[in-house]
Formats: sequence, C-alpha cells, structure tokens
Amino acid sequence: MSTERELQFEDLLRNVAAQEMPPDRRVDRRTALRVLFGGLAAGTQAAAACSPLSAATEEERERKQLEWRELIKRHYRLMTDEERADTIERLERLAKLRTGVDVTIQTTPAQPGVQFGYAFNISRCKGFRSCVEACINENNLDRASDTQYIRIFEMEDGVMDLDHADATFQHDVPAEGHFYLGTQCFQCANPPCVKVCPVGATWQEPDGITVVDYDWCIGCRYCMAACPYWARRFNWRAPEVPTEEVNPNQHYLGNRARKKGVVEKCTFCVHRTREGRLPACAEACPTGARVFGNLLDPDSEIRWVLANKRVFRLKEDLQTEPRFWYFSD
Amino acid sequence: MTAHAAHRMWIRVLPALLALAATGCTFADEEPAVHVGADAAVPTAGPDAASADVQVTVSDVRSSIEPGTLPTVAALPVHGRRGPDGLPFEVAQRTRDAGAAPARKFGARTLTIGMRTRAPDLTQYPCTACHNRAAVVRDADRPADAHRDIPTVHPSAAGGGCRTCHARADVGMLGLQDGDRVTMDHAYRLCAQCHFRQVDEWAAGGHGKRLDGWQGRRVVMGCTDCHDPHAPALQPRVPFRAPSLEPAGRNR
Repeated sequence: MSTERELQFEDLLRNVAAQEMPPDRRVDRRTALRVLFGGLAAGTQAAAACSPLSAATEEERERKQLEWRELIKRHYRLMTDEERADTIERLERLAKLRTGVDVTIQTTPAQPGVQFGYAFNISRCKGFRSCVEACINENNLDRASDTQYIRIFEMEDGVMDLDHADATFQHDVPAEGHFYLGTQCFQCANPPCVKVCPVGATWQEPDGITVVDYDWCIGCRYCMAACPYWARRFNWRAPEVPTEEVNPNQHYLGNRARKKGVVEKCTFCVHRTREGRLPACAEACPTGARVFGNLLDPDSEIRWVLANKRVFRLKEDLQTEPRFWYFSD
Repeated sequence: MTAHAAHRMWIRVLPALLALAATGCTFADEEPAVHVGADAAVPTAGPDAASADVQVTVSDVRSSIEPGTLPTVAALPVHGRRGPDGLPFEVAQRTRDAGAAPARKFGARTLTIGMRTRAPDLTQYPCTACHNRAAVVRDADRPADAHRDIPTVHPSAAGGGCRTCHARADVGMLGLQDGDRVTMDHAYRLCAQCHFRQVDEWAAGGHGKRLDGWQGRRVVMGCTDCHDPHAPALQPRVPFRAPSLEPAGRNR
C-alpha cells in the first residue's frame, strides 16, 4: 500500500522523466539566485546585527541590503510596473544614502507618434562648445575622466575629412578658414551597437532613442567596437560628479548615476525630450545650429530642413540610418 | 535562390525598409513614406509592437504636453510670416527687465543660451526720454558720449544711416520702407526688407533658434537676439574646454 509520500515521489519521478517541473515548482535561474542571495543578505544582516564588534551603521546596512537587492533585479524591459516602481525607490534611496542628494528617477515611456530627429547646421556652428558644457551638466557626466558625449570637429573649409579634423582645438573660435562639425550618438535606425550586445543591455526605444540598462550591461564594450561613430563611452572607474552639481532630474534609461564598468551614451536627453523639451545641446546652442523635432510630424522644423536643405549623414554607406543629418545654409 | 536565402535576404532588407519608413526620408520627388496631413493619424513606427495599435494625430503629439512643463518666455505673435506648418508662431519678446540673453538651467548650472547679452543698464532707453520731439534732442540731457558706443559697421557697409532703420518721427520705432512702423520686437520685418532669404528660413526653422521645447507652442528668438543690428557678425570667443583625449584617440 503506497503512502502519500510514495505517491508524491512517483509524481516527481514522472515529472523528471517528462523533463518538466510542475508550473508552480518551476524555478528559473534568476529566482533561484534571488532566493539564494536574499538568504545570504539576510544572514549577513543577522550576523552583523548580532555582532557587537560590527561598526556598520544603520544606513550602511540599509545601503548594503539595497545594493544586494539591486544586483538581482530583472532586465528593465521585462520588469512589471511594480518592479519598476520598486527599483526606482531603491535607486532613489541609494542615491540619497551615497551622495545625500534627493534625486527623482523617471521611467517616462516614449510618446506614441514620435520619432526623434536631429539636424546640425555646419555653416552655423562656430565651435563654442556650449553644447558640450550643457551636456556634461545635464547628464551627470564623469568629471574625473572628463567624459563628453559630443565632439566638435574643427575642419578646414572645403575638406570633408574627419581623419584630419581637430577635436581638441582650444583657441578663439570661429577660426579663419574653418568650419565646425559636431558628432554625438546619431540614434541610428539600424544600430550596429544593439546587434552586437551579447546580453541585450542596449536597445532601441519606440521613439528611436538607443538606450542602455546600466544594471544589465556587462562592460564587454562590443557596442563601442561596433559603433562606427565612436558615440559610446566606457566607465573605467566609478563616475564622479560633485554633490552640488548633480542633476537630480533623472531618467532610468538616461542620466541616472552610472557605475564602474558599464557603457553609456547620448540619449538625446531622454528625460527632457519625452517631456516635450529640447535636448540640452540644442537648447544651449547659442547660434541655433541645432534643429530637433519629431520626424513623423510633416510640419516640424526638422522635416522642413530635410525637405528643403541639402542634407547628408556620416558614413551613409554603412546603412546604419542615423537620425542625425548635417546641412548648410 | 533557396527559401532559406530569401528569408535571410528579407531579414537584412526589412530593417532598412522599416528604418526608411520610420525616419520618413525620401528619395528625389517620391512621396515620403510616412506622410500625413495635419490631422491625419500617424502610424507609430519602431520596434515596440505594443504601441503599434495606438492611433495618434500629429496635432495630438504637438500639444500633448503638460501645461507648465516648459519654461515660459514672454513672446509676441509674428506678423506677416507663417511657420513651416502654415500656422502662426511667436517671437521672443525683449523687455527691459529681461534685457540679458535668456538663461536656462542645465543640471545645477545656469547657462546663457543666446549669442548676445544685452547690457542690463540700457541707460538711454527708452529713446523718447531724449528724442522727445521729432529729431529733436534736449540739449540739457544730452549725454557726453551720446551714441558713440554704437558701432556703425552695418550702416556703413550698407550705405545707410540712422534713419534708414529708425523712424524719423518716432525714434522708439523702426521705420519700414513702405512707411509702416514696427516696435523693436518685430525687427525681423525690417531685416526682411533686404535679408528676405534669411527671414524666410528663420520662419521655417532653418535659421535662428527655437526656445523652450520641440513640442508645444513655437517660440523663436528674433534677429537681434543674436545679431547686433549695428554690427551683425558674430564675434569670436573662447570655446568651452576641449576634451581630454589621448593622442591616439584625439579624433574619437
């Protein structure tokens, strides 16, 4: 006579034979890790709490716990709304614990009916680099290694050769006989960087912006090798931003705090543009060389430029379809 | 071609076609792939299929921002010009209070975003303080330097004088060739008398600077917000610091 226990065992054997666990018992790798690390974290905490010699303050313990929890969260695109809210809460609290700054991290999605496009007037740009300054401040770029998303190239009149252009000019501009051409991430419609990412940490959003989940990036830098425009930047060290200069208006996919060993890039200021504002570079440009707008709006300024000006894109033969055009008066 | 090869070809070609449709770029005189009227539905393009069934109109997109999201600037409707949409747009107003070029916050830092910083102490403004009758100056109030600080680059080059632009009877106003008078805020009407090409492009969005946002009302800076009307060429200045690049990667 088989006992209840034996019946259960038979049931289990059948499942193993079918190579399938019952749905309620199926455990994926991530959940398993979460349980494991969760137990570990709780154990660590318990040990720390019991130890009279522990110097850890309440805040340090909270920070450690949050950091553990952050390690085992899911990919941003797979998160449910609650999971997103949870991670935002944790990240905002972590920012407070680490730097003392009250930040707000948005998860604003792409607006329907919007594809962002950018046009850059090479006859108007005078090389002042105001865009660069605004970008650094807006996007919390690392001050220690002087990360800059935008490069302004000083080019000789009549020569279209980026190999012999100078991005490090430091004299009064505009210089006689030169023009200026700015590059940044072109938010390609056919982005090679996205194709090569082995973990899916970078992808194209519905409004055309290619973003990075900094908590999913493994730092392999394949995307940097794949990008024909050198648009991506790597954090060899943890980025440093002076506390008083931190921009507290942040986006999960944009200018929130990055960490050591991850890739970052221009996002057309996703935290601004999804609210209808201009990217910082376009707003800061003193000469109006930068035109930004919705490509799907046939009456937008960007569409007028595309329809009425001679435009070109860099390395068009690669078929990356940049959403960034150059034009001249 | 085998079925497999055909499949592979489509995998290669389809993204490019989609991208072409998405960016709305056109070849020669072909119709744009995504061409919609002012209020027609815009098919949402992009890889996110979840939003593909949402029908949004262009005017929805243009105005669908929370009021107060964008910084506001004092602006006036532009006379006699239409934007690329055939709709009216606005020109930023230059008041005495907001005499300096507009500034915006980027992160924690506030930067000036125009070419000109108008001297906050416009001591001789309004003009009627001295020019209180047609072409008459009160001698008692005549400042020692009168208008000698005003460069005459543009009037000299164009072969004009003060009266070419400043109305004779009312110096606070600008006088057009057809006899119309406009305030300083509508200087684009004066400039357009010669620089019609630039003003056409300015109205369409190819010249000049849009303020505030790509969405919502369209406010642009006026001609004299960047160009000193008496010396319109932009002056050279020191750029923001160069990137620190190792020699091998100087162009990256």
